[in-house]
Amino acid sequence: MTDTLDPNVSGSAAHAEAHGDHPTEKAYWQIFAVLATLTALEVLWSYLGFEGPALVLPLLVMMVVKFALVAGIFMHLKYDLSIINGKYFTILFSFGLVLAIAVYFVVIATFKFQI
Amino acid sequence: MTDLATPPEERDVPVESHHTDHDDHGAHHTSLGLSNMKLAMWLFLGSECLLFGALISTFLLSKTRFITELAAGNPNVIEGLLPADQAAALAEQGVRGGFSDLPVIFQEMASERSVEAIFDIPFTSFSSFVLLMSSLCMVLAHKATEDGDYKNQRIWLATTALLGSVFIGGQIYEFTAFSNEGLTFGGSLFGSAFYTLTGFHGVHVTGGIAMLATLLILSFRGKLNSDRAETVELVGLYWHFVDVVWVLIFTIVYLIP
Amino acid sequence: MAIIENEPLALPVGDGAMVTNPLGVFSRPREVTGLKNWLTTVDHKKIGIMYGAASMFFLLIGGMSALLIRIQLATPNSSFLSADAYNQIFTMHGTIMVFLVVMPLGAAFANYLLPLQVGARDVAFPRINAFSFWVFLAGGLMLNTSWFLGGGANGGWFNYAPNNGIIYSPSTGIDFWNVGLLIAGFGSLSGAVNLITTVLNMRAPGMSLMRMPVFVWMTLVTQFLLLFAIPVLTVAQILLLMDRNFGASFFAVDKGADPLLWQHLFWVFGHPEVYLMILPAFGIVSEVIPAFSRKPIFGYPFMVFSGIAIGFMGWGVWAHHMFASGLGPLSVSAFAVATMFIAVPTGVKILNWLATMWGGKITLNTAMLFSIGLVTQFTIGGISGVSHSVAPWDTQQTDTYYIVAHFHYVLFGGALFGFMSGLYFWWPKAFGYMLNEKHGKFNFWMMVIGFNLTFGPMHILGLQGMPRRMSTYDDAMGFNLWNFVATIGSFILAVGTLWVLVNALISRNQWKKAGRPNPGPDPWDARTLEWSIQSPTPEHNFDHVPEVTSLDDFWHQKYQEDENGRVRRVSAGADIAQPGNGKGVHLPAPSYWPLILAFSLPIMGYGIIFTLWLVIPGAILMMTALFGWAFEPADDLDIDDHHDDDQPELAGANA
Repeated sequence: MTDTLDPNVSGSAAHAEAHGDHPTEKAYWQIFAVLATLTALEVLWSYLGFEGPALVLPLLVMMVVKFALVAGIFMHLKYDLSIINGKYFTILFSFGLVLAIAVYFVVIATFKFQI
Repeated sequence: MTDLATPPEERDVPVESHHTDHDDHGAHHTSLGLSNMKLAMWLFLGSECLLFGALISTFLLSKTRFITELAAGNPNVIEGLLPADQAAALAEQGVRGGFSDLPVIFQEMASERSVEAIFDIPFTSFSSFVLLMSSLCMVLAHKATEDGDYKNQRIWLATTALLGSVFIGGQIYEFTAFSNEGLTFGGSLFGSAFYTLTGFHGVHVTGGIAMLATLLILSFRGKLNSDRAETVELVGLYWHFVDVVWVLIFTIVYLIP
Repeated sequence: MAIIENEPLALPVGDGAMVTNPLGVFSRPREVTGLKNWLTTVDHKKIGIMYGAASMFFLLIGGMSALLIRIQLATPNSSFLSADAYNQIFTMHGTIMVFLVVMPLGAAFANYLLPLQVGARDVAFPRINAFSFWVFLAGGLMLNTSWFLGGGANGGWFNYAPNNGIIYSPSTGIDFWNVGLLIAGFGSLSGAVNLITTVLNMRAPGMSLMRMPVFVWMTLVTQFLLLFAIPVLTVAQILLLMDRNFGASFFAVDKGADPLLWQHLFWVFGHPEVYLMILPAFGIVSEVIPAFSRKPIFGYPFMVFSGIAIGFMGWGVWAHHMFASGLGPLSVSAFAVATMFIAVPTGVKILNWLATMWGGKITLNTAMLFSIGLVTQFTIGGISGVSHSVAPWDTQQTDTYYIVAHFHYVLFGGALFGFMSGLYFWWPKAFGYMLNEKHGKFNFWMMVIGFNLTFGPMHILGLQGMPRRMSTYDDAMGFNLWNFVATIGSFILAVGTLWVLVNALISRNQWKKAGRPNPGPDPWDARTLEWSIQSPTPEHNFDHVPEVTSLDDFWHQKYQEDENGRVRRVSAGADIAQPGNGKGVHLPAPSYWPLILAFSLPIMGYGIIFTLWLVIPGAILMMTALFGWAFEPADDLDIDDHHDDDQPELAGANA
């Protein structure tokens, strides 16, 4: 611990070692190809004339996959989470996330317009 | 929870150490091992999740409430909004006082018809593609910065900003077109929720473009070299987040009726 | 306000060397004393003190409005205030007390103490810290200018739709409420990001999460609640803003909207809000009670995890504010059960405080008295609170004085008593002199008596059916006696609360007369790291960053077990405290930009309310401030490439 007060100088050394396993440029292009394909599939699916769950569920699944790809790989979440290498942290984080999503769906489901 | 403990570290560094070994800054120790800036950015984005979560929820609750001012006051509008036979059936029942007199089920049918007629899915798909493309350019800019490839760094940063601007341009065009077709901001609950949600997203994209422009200025001043790749990564985090929000909006708002 | 009079330290701010200004205009201010220093400081201690002073100022306004309410209600059919004025006053009273007194008091203690208690020299982002304070002050002042610009808000502190719409509330009061709190919300948000980063990332070596003082834990939970709750309020306020100022129809019933949406959004924010107001006070009490019982806190892990549990569960109980709105039996039952459950972690805390005192060697000084006051009064408020989880009972009590009694017992009798306790406890650390104990006890007893006289009778009034927010009542309703008692109590309470300021002045004069004796680094023989440095806190906090080996590390340096297993004192706090020599320690330089950025926001706010033209100069000022901030040079040539802090919105420009 050095005696300085500039606490958040960008930690490039720690940074470099933590990010040694970042994807290659080629991998980024591949991820993008997947994302673009999924978007095209989504649009296609919405035009195929399905209704109800058959329409909505695949769309939601594709949306979640896209979300996970961008957050996990483009935003390096997959790699950064391994830096904070604590199982309690992960448990707490996942618990909060699951709880939040569960409460959210319960509320959306029970919310009724009064008219 | 001791796995989060700070590992015993070099200690009792003389007070004067700062001036002698400031190379050490690069490897500054933090308790979590994640730099302060990055942690702060993630916290900020976590907060943003709640912001967009609340906006998207508001939209979901409002999306079946498409009532134009025209429709609300005009007794003849039923025929324009509903299939002709249903409109005629309602007229026989004596419902002619405008949209708000319609039974809820017919209101919702009418809403779907109207909104579907207004949305231009191919155009918005193109916008979505542009934004996804910009995300790719953003990671490539970060990659180039890490590799010290400043020419490509500038190219990718500029392309990202440009694609972002194209997206914003598309949004402005879309807003104009929609409001010309009768989906006004104040006219219906759907309109209010739609414009507020997508407009908020647009403001975030605009902020991101400003950040990218700032990065470009820094780059041309020679202040964005490879040991500051994290700066690019932070803007990237924000940019990808905005992209991810659009992934949600595109599916939830545009594709799912 | 008292100013910490430090010996001028050998701070290398400028340090004789000329600082180069890459962009010429953006040089940093250098003053270390005087008004300009207070305006541009990025020192977490000064910012903490300013938070405290600002909330005391708002407490005076909020307190005066409370007295006006009590005068109006002292007698039946009173015409002291018009109904309209009464509406404004009770709305502003609630808003000011919640957003501008209790929340910033928590921020004051968090700012001052967090870095000290985790062994850091400052928060993670000092300039953002200054911004958080100034933007809170800007929003608060803007909100209060509504008194002179067309009247205050008048829809109650939670401003239900559709009453908050332009049709039912045509005055600009609600616009001020909306925009002012929106602006202040930015401060809470940036403060939360900053403080969480500080706690998670800047702990001294060896300070694992489970060695952090309970106050740090409670503040961490509080800041997480803020981080996730504020954006929900922001959305509610944006929707209202769009409705009122730009013609949207989110809450327009005639266009098919459901005003219940406002209640959901508001209380999704509002219930975590309740906990983030009380948790800092819980943290303070968890430091004061062990110090004056001369025992470690009982069940430290239980204290920590109950705090975390409150943080999680606080998100699942908001609809108990809405039982009367027709949610349907399923939702009501679910939220009723959740509300019963959240009483458990709170009860754990109460029991742990009692168990800490049990068998301890208790010193009944003012700080300790206030802490005991919190434990007692919060228990009363907690019991009346958990009674509301019984939905039929809640439906009966909704919008009566019983509710008013309940939340004043938890917020005044709880949170504010906790903050008072903290003031008496940490005053010598912040200002270098002790507060007078005799006046302190007078302060305490006046507050306890006044408080219970004011709010105790409101339970009865509520059960008798007196509705809240009514500007008057009829003679024959049977409310006369207890209202009169409450009014008498409120004046006693006002004197009692004011007495802390009187005491500060008296104590300061006595201290000056006595030749400014220093209370020493550790006047209470306390447990946490902030007592291991000199009083008042040196500008650089720690001469060298401490190495932590256990919970209550400082205590264990002072006391150790001998061979017979008896705890013995091995050294005095004053002997092992750091001497306060800051030579060679680098501190971040002050900056103008947080102040300028913060005050550019109300200009735009006035623009939204009165004329959109004003938004343009506000936005120009804001952009100038943002770029000035981003391109502001580092203050020391050594670290030219490494700025000390950054701002999330413009992260790229800096670092």
